[in-house]
Amino acid sequence: MARAPLRHRLLGEQNRNLWFWVFVGPFVIGLMIFVLVPILWSIYLSFFEARNTVTPSLFVGLDNYGDMLSDPAFLSSLGTFVVFAAFIVPLTFVGSLGLALLVHRARFAKAFFRSVFFLPVACSYVVAAMIWKLSIFSGVRFGLANSVLRALGLDSVAWLSVTQPPWYWLVIVTLRLWLQLGFYMILFLAGLQRIPTVLYEAAAVDGAKPGWQVFRYITFPQLRTTSVAVLLLLLINAFQAFDEFYNLLANAGASGGGGYPPYARPPLVYLYYTALGNQQDFGHGSAGAVILALVIALFTVLQGRLLGFGRKEDRA
Amino acid sequence: MSDISSQRRFDRRRFLGLTGTLAAAGFAAACGSNTGREGSSTAPAASSGASSPAGSAGSSAAPGGGGGGEIAQWYHAYGETGTQQAVEKYAAAYTDAKVSVTWIPGDYEKKTQASLLTDGGPDVFEWGNGPSIDMIQSGQVVELGDILGDADDDFTQSLVDRMTYDGKLYGVPQVIDMQLLVYRKSMLDDAGIEPPTSFDGLAAAAKALTTADVKGLFLGNDGGVGVMAGPTLWSVGADYLTEDNTFGFADPNVAVAFGKLHELFTSDSLLLGAPTDWSDPSAITQGLTAMQWTGLWTFPQLQKDLGDDFGVLPWPAFSATVGAPSVPIGAYGSAVSAKAKDPEAAKAYVKWLWVDNTEDQLDFAQSYGFHVPARKSLADQAESLKSGPAADAVTILQNNGKAQTPLLWTPASGTALSDAVSRIIKDGADPVSELAAVQKTVEAELERVTK
Amino acid sequence: MTTVRSGTERVGSVLRHVALGLGALLFLLPFYLLIRNALSTNADITSPQWTFFPDDIQWDNIGELFADPAVPMLRSLLNSVVISVLETSGAVLIGALAGYGLARIPYRHANVVLGMIVGTLMIPAAVTFVPTFVMVSTLGWVSSLQGIIVPGLFQALVVFLFRQYFLNFPRELEEAGRVDGLGYPGVFFRIVVPNSKAFVAAVATITFIGSWNAFLWPLVIAQDSSSWTVQIALSTFLTAQTVNLHELFMAAVFSILPMMLVFLGLQRFIVQGVESTGTTGQ
Repeated sequence: MARAPLRHRLLGEQNRNLWFWVFVGPFVIGLMIFVLVPILWSIYLSFFEARNTVTPSLFVGLDNYGDMLSDPAFLSSLGTFVVFAAFIVPLTFVGSLGLALLVHRARFAKAFFRSVFFLPVACSYVVAAMIWKLSIFSGVRFGLANSVLRALGLDSVAWLSVTQPPWYWLVIVTLRLWLQLGFYMILFLAGLQRIPTVLYEAAAVDGAKPGWQVFRYITFPQLRTTSVAVLLLLLINAFQAFDEFYNLLANAGASGGGGYPPYARPPLVYLYYTALGNQQDFGHGSAGAVILALVIALFTVLQGRLLGFGRKEDRA
Repeated sequence: MSDISSQRRFDRRRFLGLTGTLAAAGFAAACGSNTGREGSSTAPAASSGASSPAGSAGSSAAPGGGGGGEIAQWYHAYGETGTQQAVEKYAAAYTDAKVSVTWIPGDYEKKTQASLLTDGGPDVFEWGNGPSIDMIQSGQVVELGDILGDADDDFTQSLVDRMTYDGKLYGVPQVIDMQLLVYRKSMLDDAGIEPPTSFDGLAAAAKALTTADVKGLFLGNDGGVGVMAGPTLWSVGADYLTEDNTFGFADPNVAVAFGKLHELFTSDSLLLGAPTDWSDPSAITQGLTAMQWTGLWTFPQLQKDLGDDFGVLPWPAFSATVGAPSVPIGAYGSAVSAKAKDPEAAKAYVKWLWVDNTEDQLDFAQSYGFHVPARKSLADQAESLKSGPAADAVTILQNNGKAQTPLLWTPASGTALSDAVSRIIKDGADPVSELAAVQKTVEAELERVTK
Repeated sequence: MTTVRSGTERVGSVLRHVALGLGALLFLLPFYLLIRNALSTNADITSPQWTFFPDDIQWDNIGELFADPAVPMLRSLLNSVVISVLETSGAVLIGALAGYGLARIPYRHANVVLGMIVGTLMIPAAVTFVPTFVMVSTLGWVSSLQGIIVPGLFQALVVFLFRQYFLNFPRELEEAGRVDGLGYPGVFFRIVVPNSKAFVAAVATITFIGSWNAFLWPLVIAQDSSSWTVQIALSTFLTAQTVNLHELFMAAVFSILPMMLVFLGLQRFIVQGVESTGTTGQ
C-alpha cells in the first residue's frame, strides 16, 4: 500500500528525481570524494594539534585560529594580498578594457590582434615565470630589461632581489598582466558587441561627441554587468595567487630546504610554504586556510553589495 | 532555481547579461589560472578549489609502497650528471630484496613529507642532516639501533650526533656536503688582492673586484639570506643554539655582523639575480662574479671550466679579534620510514649500502659531484680530494667545519630567522629588534619540542 | 553611423592601429625570447652584449633535448597528451550531464546541490591539498596516470558553465524532441549536444589548456619518471642544481607548442562560447 506513494516520492513526477540523479550523480559523487571530504577534513584538522600527521588526537579548540590571527607573518601576507590586488585589479581592468576598445574599433587585422592578445592565455605560469625571471628581468647584464637600461645609460637593477625600491612588484604584476589581459579583453569584447548600435545613433543625434563622451555615457554604463563580473573574478583570482610568486621568488635555501622571502608573500604561499610545507603543521595551516576562505567569501559578498551584483530592482 | 526563473521574468535581459558574463568570466578563471584547475599549487582561479587534486582509487600499486621483498628508496634530484644512474646501479646490486629507486625532482621535502603521511611513501629515504625532530617525535621514522656496528667509530662523530636523538640513531650519514667560498685566483691577482681573512677584508675585496661586467661576490640571488645566517653567527663566535639547547645568539656582536651584511648588500658589489643560484657554479665559471659562495660538489665543474684558476676559503672570522672562520657541513642521512612494509629489511638495506658497502660509498662521494665520505677511513682513500683546491677544502672542513643546524632547530625557527635576516639585509631593518623577535619564536619552539 | 569621417577621426584610427601594433609586439616578445633562447648556445644567452638574434642558430638543441637520458621528454609529452585528452573528455561529459541536470530537470533540492558546487569554487585548492593527497594515495594511485586524471574529472567550474549555457538553450528544440517521444537522455544526446557543439568545444579547449598546464598535482602524484607530464619534466630542469639554460628553454618551447596549436585552432570557439553565454535569450 505504502510502496506506491513512496516510490512516487523518490522518483518524482515522470521519474524526474531519478533522472536528475542520473545526470548529476556522477559529478556529485566525484565532488564528494575529491573535494568535499578533503575540505571537511581540513576544517577538522584546524581544531587539532596536528604536526606531521593528518589523523591527530589532541583537540585544541580555537587555539590554532587565535595563533594565526596573532601571527604577524600571516597578517602581513594578507597585507601583501591587498597591495597585489591594488595593483592587479585596476590595471587588468583598465588594460583589458582598453585593449577591447582598441580591437573592437580596429579596421584592419582585427582577428589577428585579438589572437595575439589572447595567445598568452594558453601559456603556463611555469613557462611565463621562466621567461620573466631568466630572460626579461634577470638581474644580470644580459637580461633584456637591464640591457635596455644600459642602452639608456642607466645602472642595472636586480629586479627580484632588492626590496628598496620594490621592483619585484613590476615583475610579478607584468607577468600576470601578460597572462590574463587577453582573457578579460575577450569578455569586454563580448560585452561591447552586445551594445545595440541604436544607442550610439541616438547619442549622435543628441550631439554627444564621439570619444570620451560616448564612452562615458553610453559604452561604459552598458558594460556594467561585464565590469562587475570582471572585478569579481579579478579579486578572487588575486586572492588565490600562488604560481607566479612561487616560481619567481622561491629560492634554494641551505641544505636543499627551499626558502621564500618575507616580502611579497601572499596568503596562499605563506600557508602552503610555511605552515603546510616543511613545518608540516596541519593544524595551524588548516586554520589559516579556513580564515582565508572566510575572508574571500566576505570580500566577494561585500564587493557584490557595493557593485550592486544581484540587485533585482536595478535595471540596466 | 525557482527564484532564479522568477528573476529572469522580472529582468530577463539584465540577468542574462550578468550570468552570461559570469559564466564567460568563468573561462577566465580557468584560462587565466591554467594550472589552477588541478589545483593545488597553482592556484588562482576560483576553479581550482573546486576540482582539486586528489587521486583515487586505484590500481597500480604505488612504487613507493614496497612490500613483498621490495624496498622503495627515494632520493632528491642531485644536480650532478650520472648520480641517478649510479644510485640505481647500487640498488640493482643488492641481492636480499628488490630495491626500486625513485628520483624526485622539484620540491623533494614537501613531496616526501606528504607521502610519509600515507602508505604510498618510501621505505628508505634521505633527509638533510637526518630526520627532523618533528618526524622523530611523531614516530614517522624508526630508530636504527646499532646499525653502524663496528664502523661506529669510523663515522664522523658530529654527523652521527646530529642524527641521534635521546641516545637513539635515526639516520646514517651518506656523504658530507660542505659549503665554502671559491674565488678566481687570476682576478684577485690582477687586482692585487690577497684572499680576505676578515669580514671587512671580504667586503673590501668584493668592492675592489667589481667592474662594469663582473661583480665581486655572489652569495646567492637573495644576497645571502638563504645561506649566510649560519656563517654569520659563527663568524662572531655565536651559534644557532647553545650546547644545552638554549637560544644561541643573544650576543650583541650578532646584530652588528648582520648589519654588515646589509652594508654589503647595498654596496653594489654583490651579484644578484643570476640565472642560476649559489649551488650552481655557473655564475663564477661564466665570469659573472670573482668570488662565490658554493659547495664542494661543484668542484668537478669548476676544474673543467677554470682549470686551476680557482682557490677556496672559509667564511672569514668577523675580525682579527672576534670570532673564527667557518664552513657549514652537513650530510644527507638515510632513514627508514615507520610505515615501511618491512622495517627490518629496509634497515638491512641501509646497512648494506651506507655502512658496509664502502666501494659504492666512495664512488658516490667522488665520481659525480665532490663530497667527503662520511666514514673517515674512506675520506683518506678519496683520491680526488687529495690534491688542488679540493684538498684545501678538506683541510678547511677539518679545521672550520660547523654542523649546519642543530636537531632542535625547527623549520619554524628557521623561517623566523631567515625572515628576519631578509629584512635586515634587504630592507635595512634594525637587527637588534628583528633578532629579539626571532628569539621569542625560537624559545617557544624549544619549549614545544622539549616538553 | 553615417557621419562623414573627419580628419581627426582618421588620425584617431591611425593612432589606434599604431597602439595595437606596439601592443602586439609587446605581447609577442616573450614568445620570441623563448624561441631565441632555445636556439642559442648558453654562451650566447649569457653574453654581456645583448643580441636580438643569436649569432648562430643551434638547431641541434632540439636533438640534444630529446637525447638527454636524464629527462624523458618524449615519454612526458606522450603522458601529457594521454592525460589531457582523457581528462578533458571525461570532465566535459560529466560536467555537461550535471550542468544539464541542474538547468533543466526540476528537482526540489537542486538549489542545495547547486549551492554546494558553487561554494567549492571559492575554496582555494592549495589548502585542501594534503588531505586530498592522502585520500588518493589510500586508493593506491600514486605514480599512475589515473591518479592524475580521475580527480580532474570533477570540475565544478565546468558544471557551472554548462548550467549557465543550458539555462539559455532554446526550449522549443527540446520540446520538439519530447513530442517525438524522447526522454531526458534522448533529448540531451540527440538534440541538446548536437546543437551545442561550439560551446562544448569552447569548454573542452579551456579544460584542455588547464589540464596541459597543470603543475602541482602531477608533481606530487607522478613520483616515478614514467608518469611525468611535460610540466614536470620542465621543472626538473628548473630545479636541478645545475641549469642548462638552452635546454630549459627548448623544453619550454616543446611544452607550449601543442598548446599554441590547439589554441590557435580552437580559440574561435572560446570567443563564441563567451559571446553565446551572454547573448542568447536576449
